Amino acid sequence: MLTTPNRIRWQVDFESYDVLVVGGGLAGIRAAIAAVETNPRVRVGMVSKVYPMRSHTVSAEGGAAAALRPEDSYENHAFDTVKGSDYLADQDVVEAFVREAPVEIIQMEHWGCPWSRDDDGKISARPFGGMTTWRTCFAADKTGFHMLHAVFQTSLKYPQIQRHDEAFVTKLLVEDSRCVGVVALDMKTGRFDAITAKSVILATGGLGRVYAFTTNGNICTGDGMSLAYRAGVGLKDMEMVQFHPTGLPFTGILITEAVRGEGGYLLNNEGERFLKRYVPNKMELGPRDIISRAMITEFEEGRGFEGPHGKYLHLDVRHLGEKVIDRKLPFMRELGREFVGIDIVKEPIPVRPVQHYMMGGVDADISGATPMAGLYAAGECANVGLNGANRLGSNSLPECLVFGAAAGRAATEYASSVKPVTSNPVDALLWDEAHRVEVAFLEKKGGTERMGAIREEMQHEMDQGAGVFRTKEGLEKLIERLGGLRERFGRIKIEDSSRTFNTELTSAMELDFMLELSQTIAVTALARDESRGAHARRDYPERNDEKFLKHSLVFSRDAAKPRLEYRDVHLGDFKPQARTY
Amino acid sequence: MADKRITIEAARYDPDKDERPRLQSYEIPFYDDSMVVLDALNYIKSEVDGSLSYRWSCRMGICGSCGMMVNGTPKLTCNAFVRDYWPRPITVQPLNNFPIIRDLVIDMDDFMHKLKEIKPWIIRKQEIPLGAGEHRQTNDQIDDFRQFSQCINCMLCYAACPVYGLNNEFLGPAAIALARRYNLDSRDQGLKQRLPVLADNEGVWECSFVGECSVVCPKGVDPAKAIQQTKLDTTLRFVLPYGNRD
Amino acid sequence: MTAEAKAAAPREYPWRIPANWWLRNRHYFLYIAREFTVVPIALWLLWLLVEIKRAGDGRAHYAPHGSTALVVFSVITLLFALYHSYTFLSLAGVIIHVKVLDRPVPSRVIVLAQFALWAVASVVVGFALIWFAR
Repeated sequence: MLTTPNRIRWQVDFESYDVLVVGGGLAGIRAAIAAVETNPRVRVGMVSKVYPMRSHTVSAEGGAAAALRPEDSYENHAFDTVKGSDYLADQDVVEAFVREAPVEIIQMEHWGCPWSRDDDGKISARPFGGMTTWRTCFAADKTGFHMLHAVFQTSLKYPQIQRHDEAFVTKLLVEDSRCVGVVALDMKTGRFDAITAKSVILATGGLGRVYAFTTNGNICTGDGMSLAYRAGVGLKDMEMVQFHPTGLPFTGILITEAVRGEGGYLLNNEGERFLKRYVPNKMELGPRDIISRAMITEFEEGRGFEGPHGKYLHLDVRHLGEKVIDRKLPFMRELGREFVGIDIVKEPIPVRPVQHYMMGGVDADISGATPMAGLYAAGECANVGLNGANRLGSNSLPECLVFGAAAGRAATEYASSVKPVTSNPVDALLWDEAHRVEVAFLEKKGGTERMGAIREEMQHEMDQGAGVFRTKEGLEKLIERLGGLRERFGRIKIEDSSRTFNTELTSAMELDFMLELSQTIAVTALARDESRGAHARRDYPERNDEKFLKHSLVFSRDAAKPRLEYRDVHLGDFKPQARTY
Repeated sequence: MADKRITIEAARYDPDKDERPRLQSYEIPFYDDSMVVLDALNYIKSEVDGSLSYRWSCRMGICGSCGMMVNGTPKLTCNAFVRDYWPRPITVQPLNNFPIIRDLVIDMDDFMHKLKEIKPWIIRKQEIPLGAGEHRQTNDQIDDFRQFSQCINCMLCYAACPVYGLNNEFLGPAAIALARRYNLDSRDQGLKQRLPVLADNEGVWECSFVGECSVVCPKGVDPAKAIQQTKLDTTLRFVLPYGNRD
Repeated sequence: MTAEAKAAAPREYPWRIPANWWLRNRHYFLYIAREFTVVPIALWLLWLLVEIKRAGDGRAHYAPHGSTALVVFSVITLLFALYHSYTFLSLAGVIIHVKVLDRPVPSRVIVLAQFALWAVASVVVGFALIWFAR
């Protein structure tokens, strides 16, 4: 191990992995297991900035969709997904997804996931937004929790998987345009490690914390997206941000779509099931983007309730009865009691649209491969082309499984075909990165800006400028504000000079990532002069297939505005039509 | 809510500077009735002292990160309401019974090791192929182990258990409850493989049924019940003829 | 990780349980009280063994120790024993899990059954002692 007079501690980890997974959530762990099952002799590393059972997968509630039942079909699931995406999904990817999803659900069942059952003992399914048949499998209303624990506990039986818990990745190691590993800060000791690998899979989840009002946990800061972006890989469809219709006011805690799936009603302050004016055929089971816009419109037209934390509407399940609620929605009852002080059996739940998921992400293909050799991406941090402009609820959990597994397999095959990484260039790269972090954060003297203030302003500006409805002026103002915040970020004050578990340092690095990603969202949203899926422009309310039936790609340019490109969508059997429900 | 204030006494420990942990006092606004202790810590870190270190993520009681001692009781700080303590000061310390890495952050490697020891995965004599579909299981069969499957690994139970505090070798409440979850799962056939670790002196037999683990568990897992039931089960297996069948 | 790296890792503050841990919480105190009951009960049983030995030396000359102090001690021990039995039997509902016709028997029923058995056993033993003492 090496030290300098400045007490930087760093070392190069010579135990080079074949596959290194960054992120310990559902996609990451699934990828690691898939790698080992493809080749039992493979050495897999897993780096996560938190212990895997803390990953935000754990908060997913509603369910995982798959065409398992005889009355369902791959074509049906594919069509619902493509229409839900407002035709921005790559249909070849969707085709592959709908075929693999049922396999993964069964695999999870074999690994112990306690799917809720029908009377005949087979896996049950519930209705969900935008799905034309009942295909959403569920484990009570804690599906993500049960899936994550099942897959994490299963991963413990593979000795080939070595974990580095609470290791914060600060940079990808790239040599000759090939990804050869990562630099990670070991939080317990403050040591910088270079962890080398023949292939790297990014599975770091979403970036909800760039918004003030989000369902996402503290750790959802888009790290993997920013790491890839800085390494020169494009980010795809960053303007597509999903707002979930039903979050609790003030905290933003998620109230699952399953509540509506089980028959809950959305009511305005006149007691009206107002969705009959927006999605009359699907009502509460319409897709998330349309319902969120409907709710905001109700607010704007004066039919929302006023509360101490802003406007809200009612989600009413009283008519379902206590038995159904305790059997199907027990966690919702607990959340209502603990965080709002209500019993959902007796009172309606206050809800409002809340940022929830990121359709945009690292440019990856159907096997999880990014344009950079040796770099793969899966799960929410990737955009493989599945969700297009709007994701249907209960497609994300199977997405993590299907593409996590695909990336695991592809990365393993790639690793068997390339030479191991040499330590010489890695040594220098590691020193550069450790030094960069030292200078940018730890050695900083005379900073004047409070990091918390910059972060809160960024989040507030994003809520205002890049929310459910966007305008040209709003986005331009947002870009300008973000520029100012970036400038102030250069002068932040870091009070924590400790080497041991320095969360102020990691928060600063996360804010650095988030400012960058906010900019990509704003810039791509400004450039897309149409409304499609979750991206709604008041000044361009219609969809423009001629100009914009394309994915946006945003690339980093040093000290300049990002570079934008567009790529055609892979169409298939489903030709774009008007999207009504 | 005009001008209400709350005092937080937070434990601080930086191995580079401190011989032992100390308490640092912060007086902050009590700005909303639904404010939780975690909100207070976030306010301190954001506005007053950026060097305060602690773990948190989901803020909705499902990730298990934010367990700490609040006025001497292990709690999830995302679910500990300031209004229940105000106007008296709130003391926040790292979980009992674990070594302290920094401030409110404890070393949980011992638990991660024990988690692996109990083999928390479905063990079958013969795997059924994926093509055969799912194992048939009823909701009633799931009810048999449902309670024990709710554990979020927050380790409040380990902080509450004086046996673990006196003897770190003890397997502990959460690990044993999770083992029982698998032992009771109709799809699992691995009970015999888990027995050596469970029926060990440092396994269930180290427990003397204090019961505090179940009192503090935020998800109602009732690990004390899991442990005592495991004691009874393993004893019957040992004592009854043909008790140790699969 | 190299040995060098391990050695340079920062020092964790080890946990040491305070000697007064059992005074910090009502539940801990009651637990220690429950565990402590074994001491007076053991002492009382030792005394009982002594009495049995003495009684075995001959009926005619046997007179049990009957000082007030011993009576008081017996009453205190009885209270401790009752406390122990009460806690033990109350917890039976947690330990014992049986299913009748595929439905789990509620723990309240199990606990009540335990107390009922205890009452019956106490009556039987008490009756036997009094009967054979005549």
